[in-house]
Parts: sequence; C-alpha cells; structure tokens
Amino acid sequence: MSTKLFSPYVPRPVTLVEKTQLSDFVTRFTFEQDNGKPLAHKPGQFVNLSIYGIGEAPFSISSPPRRTKITFEIAVRRIGAVTSALHALEPGTKVGIRGPYGSSFPVMKFVGKDVLIVAGGLGYIPLRSLLFYQLRHRDEFGRIVLMVGTRDPKERIFVDEIAELAKSGEVEVMETVDVPDSTWKGNVGVITTLLPKVELDPANTFVAMVGPPIMYRFVIAECRKKGIASEQIFVSLERKMKCGLGKCGHCQINELNTCIDGPVFCYTDIEAYQEAI
Amino acid sequence: MTTYTVYKEQLPGLFEKWSKLYTLHVPAKLREGFYDLVPWKKDLEIAWDYDVAYNSAKRFVMPPHEALISYDRRTCEAAPVFEAPKQILFGMHPYDVKALNQLDQLMEGGSPDQNYIRRREATVVMAFEPLTVSSAAFWASVGAASVAHGYDLYWTKISPASFMVEVGSVRGEELLLMNGALLSSTAGDKEGARRAKARILAKARKNSLRYNWEETPRLLAKCWDSPLWRRYSQMCLACGSCNTVCPTCYCFDIREESDDQLDTGVRYREWDGCMLESFAKVAGNHNFRPKAQDRYRHRYFRKGKYIYDKIGELGCVGCGRCVRACTAAIANPLKVFNELWEETAHEY
Repeated sequence: MSTKLFSPYVPRPVTLVEKTQLSDFVTRFTFEQDNGKPLAHKPGQFVNLSIYGIGEAPFSISSPPRRTKITFEIAVRRIGAVTSALHALEPGTKVGIRGPYGSSFPVMKFVGKDVLIVAGGLGYIPLRSLLFYQLRHRDEFGRIVLMVGTRDPKERIFVDEIAELAKSGEVEVMETVDVPDSTWKGNVGVITTLLPKVELDPANTFVAMVGPPIMYRFVIAECRKKGIASEQIFVSLERKMKCGLGKCGHCQINELNTCIDGPVFCYTDIEAYQEAI
Repeated sequence: MTTYTVYKEQLPGLFEKWSKLYTLHVPAKLREGFYDLVPWKKDLEIAWDYDVAYNSAKRFVMPPHEALISYDRRTCEAAPVFEAPKQILFGMHPYDVKALNQLDQLMEGGSPDQNYIRRREATVVMAFEPLTVSSAAFWASVGAASVAHGYDLYWTKISPASFMVEVGSVRGEELLLMNGALLSSTAGDKEGARRAKARILAKARKNSLRYNWEETPRLLAKCWDSPLWRRYSQMCLACGSCNTVCPTCYCFDIREESDDQLDTGVRYREWDGCMLESFAKVAGNHNFRPKAQDRYRHRYFRKGKYIYDKIGELGCVGCGRCVRACTAAIANPLKVFNELWEETAHEY
C-alpha cells in the first residue's frame, strides 16, 4: 500500500468542524481541509464525499470560494445511506473528499450586470456559493435579486441568513411557499409565480437557477417571457455523479457528462438536449 | 511491416514459454457453438474456427469487480489499489481489438484511469483473423473488419499448418522470437494472408447495414422520437445482459465492502448497465430515465452517436453478442439501425 502511487479515485481527508441544523432534515456541515489549503473551488462546483464503510456521494459546495480559509461548507438533506451517516457524525470526525469537480457559474460574465438567482428547495445551497461570492465583490455587480421557493414553511433553510440579506438591502429577496401553514404571511405559490412580480431589464440580467428537476422548464419559460436570452440563463443540473471523472456513465445527459461538462450549463448549450430539462 | 511465417508445430513450444511469463488465454470450445478465451494448458485444443467468444475482452482490462482503493475508517486514510496481471490474449478477433482500442481512448482521455491503464499495459494482444463469422455478427459493415493498431501480433492462418504473423510492437516481436529466429514471410505467404482476409470479409458482409456506417450519428439525430424505441423496449426485461456482453460498454458503479468491524475495507467498481432500471436514479428516488424506452434509446444513442461524436467511430463493433444474449430478442443494433434507416429513407 504505497500512497505515492496516484489514482484519481483516492479521496483526501477533511475534518468536520461544525454542524448546524437548518430544518428537520437538512444540516449544514463545515469541514476543514487536513492539507491546510483552501479548497480553491468556484461557485457551482461539487465534491465527492466519502464516509468509509458506507459510501461516496456528490454534494454541491455551499460556501463561497475562500482565499485564506481552509474551511468549506456543504448542506445536506438526510435521505439515503451516505447522508444519514453524515448526519450522525460529530465534529472532530474525518471524512474523505475528492474534487472540487465540474463547471461553475461564470461570475466574470455577471460583472456589471443584474443577477437573478432562482433557488427552488435545496437549490439555495449551491447558489449560496455564488451569492456570497458576489456579495464579497458587491460593487462589481448591479442588482442582485434572490427568489427562494420552498414546499412549506417548515422546510425553509437558511431562514435567518435570508432574512438578514433582505434587511441589508444588498439583495432584493422574494420568497414563496407552495403550501402555507398558519404562521406563513408571505407569498404562496410555486416559484414561477414570483417572476411576474419583479421588473427586470432583460438585456442586462443574467439568471442562475437551481432547483428540483420539474422547476427548470417553467422558470426558464418565465424568463424567456420577460425577454431574457438563453445565453443569459445558467442552470445547475443534478444527476447521479459517481466517479466525477466522466467515466462511469451515470450522470449522462444525452452525450454530456454532468460531472465534467456540468453541473452548471448555459441554457444555450443544453437547449437541444432532450434529456436535459 | 515486419511479418514472419510460423508453423503450427512451433506453437506448443512458444505457448509453453509464454505461459511461464504471462497468463496465456486462448480461444476454446466450451460446448457446441459456445466459445470463450480460457487459460491455456498443455494439450488444450485451440478453437481456431471460433465465431465469437461469448465474453468480450473488456473483462481482462476492466474486470467485473475491481478494487480501486483501500481505506481505514479509523485514520481516514486511503490508498490506491492496483492490480495488473501479465496476460496474453491470443486469438482475439479484430473487432474485439477495435473495441479494446476504443476503451483505451475513453479511459485514457480526460482524467486517465490508472487502474485501466496499468492492466492494459500488462496485456499483450495477439489478434487472429477470423475463420468463421457468427450468424449475428455484422462487423464488416461498421468499419471493424480490420484494425491498424492495438495489437502486438496479428495472426492469419494461411494454410492448414501455417500462419503469417504481422508484428505490431517490439514486445510482440520479442515474444514471437523467444524460441529462436523465424522465417520472414514470402510474397506467397503474404498473398495467402490477403486471400484469407478477403475470404472472411466476403462471409462477414452477409449481414450488413443498408447504408454507410458513418451516417449513423446523423441518422440517429433524426430518430429521437421514432416509434421504434417503444416498439422494441416494451419487451425489455431490464436485465442488462446486452451491457454485460458488449465489448464497448464500460459504465460502472462504485461500491465498498468493509471488514466485520467496519474499520478497514475496499472500494471497488463493478460493471453497471444503462439498461438497468436504477441506473440514472438519484437520491430521493427521482429517475432521469424511468421508462424502458428511455434506457433502450440511450444505449443505441451511445453506440451510434455519443461515442462517435467523441472519438469518430461507432460505439458498436458489430460482434453480435447482444443479439445472442438478449432474452427478449430486442437487442440488435443491425436491425435497429437498418429499420431507422428505412423509416427515414424518404428524407434522403
């Protein structure tokens, strides 16, 4: 067993330093890289996380790129074997990661433009990386409009953070839930119902969206209705990325490998692929 | 091109020598009409006239179950696991060599797959010009009747007792000359080899695409919504047999196995198949290809378009293994492509 031999399948160790419960099923995990280096990812990329003895699964990076800190965050819904095992870990535990992998949101293209961020359900998790990167360079962007849609109020995540953002005035925040309860005073309806409520300058607005598979088609249609061109729309698509190297075949969208060609795609580049949206 | 003429009586001596350095696999009959490459041993009868080995050669370079890393949960350390047995694959037909060359490109491109590369480098390929054509094969019509590279030696039977052997690599030539010098092929031997090739090619052309194979990606591009996908796939058992026997199917799953204390273990890859129902399923049970039709079409698009768009060759080498393996008798690239061609013929 020589560690000098190289293989792209070998993870490196990171240590869990903090765990924050966000909702009944969703928890934020902060890790520190054992190699003492920043993760050096770009907004929209993912890592493959290993819990030895259980398995490996891909997770979007939720924190913005950090130049000096060696921590990074993911936020995860407890739903399968790896995510359940992850939820059971205590700070101080080590896990393995590979990556960061995949494409990212083209932040340089967004400079000087208005940006509409559409987050459906857990979609806020990867978009947070983009959003906080932009906030660090707030002067370089125009308006930042954040739309957040959740199934019901109980499933909302990053509630305080989003409220802070709204209060700060740096971000125009619009929220909705599909199914309200007695505590909910805000918008009701799927996330597409928020789009007609906002004035956008279509020529000057870029869109970044992440959400459940069903969401894209409808939000894209609303954006196109507003006159936003396909080239200005960026989506991040979920598939079953197993190897992260474009080999294992699980994440294919027609001939594209989501793990290396995606997960972030410009809508123009996938419009013709029947399996994409 | 260096060529030697080798006589049948020289083979046992060579095989003996090689088998001391390598595991030597040769074609043999398992039962009537059923062949495979098996480890050579003395007095084993070589099935020179085998039509197709029921297993493809991918298992030698990418075994069905292969360790990738070993780990220790307690320290969170992991290390690569490499295994690369020295092996000779004697008697591989050119379409199978072609399939292997394709795997080479796909596994070496992008992030080179070290496990694959090591196995491949330890594998000597001795190709053999077929003498019989499987009734399900159509390799002559998909550009897989010959290969220009990827073999160390290429054997052609030119008489009942002799072969012309073309050298493809230094390693191959060294192995061939291990028992001493051999005669260079004469012009007559070369002519014999040319004729042998022409003979088999004529037989192999009986099953043919009705169009030039290079049109396949363009053909498929027009056929996404063809009723054919549903017509055939409604009988699909989603068993993945076509994936398993296919020499160019290489999709895999990654799993792991721990010791009984859950302290140490091995993460391995295992053949997976896009025809299996859960292949594109993600956490939360969303399936991106829920219907047999989606999966069936995906496989044919991979063979006929996606691989082509990547490397300029069809992802199907026409071996006909899937045709034989399919219980529902719906796996048949030749039939599928030809029918799609007919469906759209009026557009040309």
